[in-house]
Amino acid sequence: MNPAIPQSTLGRDLGLVFWQIRYEQRAYWRNRGRGVFTFVFPIMFLVIFASLDKGQTISTRGNIAFNDFFVPGILAYGIIATTFVNLAIGTAILRDQGILKRMQGTPLPRWAYVLARIGSASIVMLMMTAVVLGLGAAVWGLDFRAGALPGLIVSLVLGTACFTTIGVGITQFIPNAEAGPVVVNLAVLPLTFISNIWFPIDSLPQALKTIAGLFPIKALATSLQYVFDPRHHGAGLDGTDLRVLAIWTVVGVWLMIRFLRKPMGDVG
Amino acid sequence: MNSIPTQADELAIEVHDLRKSYGENLAVGGVSFDVRRGEVFCLLGPNGAGKTTIVEILEGYRTRTSGEARVLGIDPATSARTLREQVGIVLQQCGVQPDLSVYELVEMYGRYHARQRPVDEVIQLVELTEKRDERAKKLSGGQRRRLDLALALVGDPELIFLDEPTTGFDPQARRQAWSTIRSLCQLGKTVFLTTHYMDEAQFLADRVAVMRGGQIIASGRPDELGGRDLRPAEIRFELPDGVGLDEVPDLPAEGRELTGPRVTIHTRQPVRAAQIITSWAVDSEVDLAHFSVAQPSLEDIYLELTGSGGHAQPVAEEATV
Repeated sequence: MNPAIPQSTLGRDLGLVFWQIRYEQRAYWRNRGRGVFTFVFPIMFLVIFASLDKGQTISTRGNIAFNDFFVPGILAYGIIATTFVNLAIGTAILRDQGILKRMQGTPLPRWAYVLARIGSASIVMLMMTAVVLGLGAAVWGLDFRAGALPGLIVSLVLGTACFTTIGVGITQFIPNAEAGPVVVNLAVLPLTFISNIWFPIDSLPQALKTIAGLFPIKALATSLQYVFDPRHHGAGLDGTDLRVLAIWTVVGVWLMIRFLRKPMGDVG
Repeated sequence: MNSIPTQADELAIEVHDLRKSYGENLAVGGVSFDVRRGEVFCLLGPNGAGKTTIVEILEGYRTRTSGEARVLGIDPATSARTLREQVGIVLQQCGVQPDLSVYELVEMYGRYHARQRPVDEVIQLVELTEKRDERAKKLSGGQRRRLDLALALVGDPELIFLDEPTTGFDPQARRQAWSTIRSLCQLGKTVFLTTHYMDEAQFLADRVAVMRGGQIIASGRPDELGGRDLRPAEIRFELPDGVGLDEVPDLPAEGRELTGPRVTIHTRQPVRAAQIITSWAVDSEVDLAHFSVAQPSLEDIYLELTGSGGHAQPVAEEATV
């Protein structure tokens, strides 16, 4: 007695992901606060600090230019801001406003919605990457070897996979939307100071280096710095750090699935 | 709506002995009812009666503790996509992407459905055409609620859940929402409504189930609920100073009450009784103020059933918790 409902196919669902990315993009760029916090901040930090440190070299690293270290470091920070920070704060807001609950009541599969959110964050990440690397090359003489392209691609892909999935998954530890920026900054900011983002950690105590080595922030920064380090030749693949990113990606996927499995309505 | 269906596929919703407990707390204690295709069914009850728990179980948001539930022939606990394709949901409080416009939102939610209605037609149906390009965050409360309805309708659902759709509306906005909901019925849709407004149930519902303490304590057509159509009518008036109740002539009545100058007469023959009273009043030149004849209102029945009124008559069934 019902008019037949067309069968959904994977092709149609992927089409939905594409459309959803477009809506997510529109919503992202219209929210100025979010854009400043995640997209503008990394670029602003780059401009300020790279200008201040212009011409300096790093003695512990064979006197390479400071900005050959700092530009990829701030790129890592930007990737974390546009993926992890963006998704963690954004998903907590979506949950608190009941939008996740509303989405759950529609025929859009949950995986398709999350994939679109991740896809949209990745677009912002790529735009930020283009601006940071473009400015780095044009203004601060960042040197990029074409041979290191595989290293750059693998670092970007693994970094994005790692920090988007953790970003969505960490929402389950954010009690409410107001707490979002607090939780996210507590998780990120302290680690950035021991993770080769703002300055080289070469002369820090070994204990701090060991702690930083457990987390993906230093892994992403260091793997990107490896790509742009003029002393290195080859494909730019930094094995140890990429392995850490891969392990955290597995953790992120697990966290994300754990978060998505919970129904949005049952409070009991 | 007007024939008596016997086959299961004539039923949009079947619920049998549905229970939901949160730990020790029994939110819904053994509820059974059916909703026919094409009718407006209303769960009426005070806050905390268990209405939203039932709706959210039927919508697939909550799991039931025990009992049976079928929505369009599908178990809602499976959260099947075919079910979500055929059901439109207006939740009690639910946000929407604040930075997208009305048009973009209706279009976006429409895309999720394999079958959809034209975006502008839906926007027109909920009377938001003037706000078509406004961002959702700039809409008023009533406009937001109409947007909620638009998002539930754009997938051309068979069945629409409306959980307290007009709470917080001003009277004019409520009338507007009611006429929109009425127009859904003309499209042949089934509507499952919850409300704590009696007039809303009266105006919209084909059948009403009254809930209290997690149980259905009465159900039926709004005009039959609680035996409303079988109850004595009430004749009310005020006696002027110096006239006593004993001066009112004999008339067919079940009972008489006097509260200060106000008289209430319960009678099963309201026409005759009223004629006797008015003839006496005219003949003896007694001025009866605030004279009225009425059946007990749905509100009287509701207050009596839910135990929140001052009526002495006991409620038929007590909620067992």
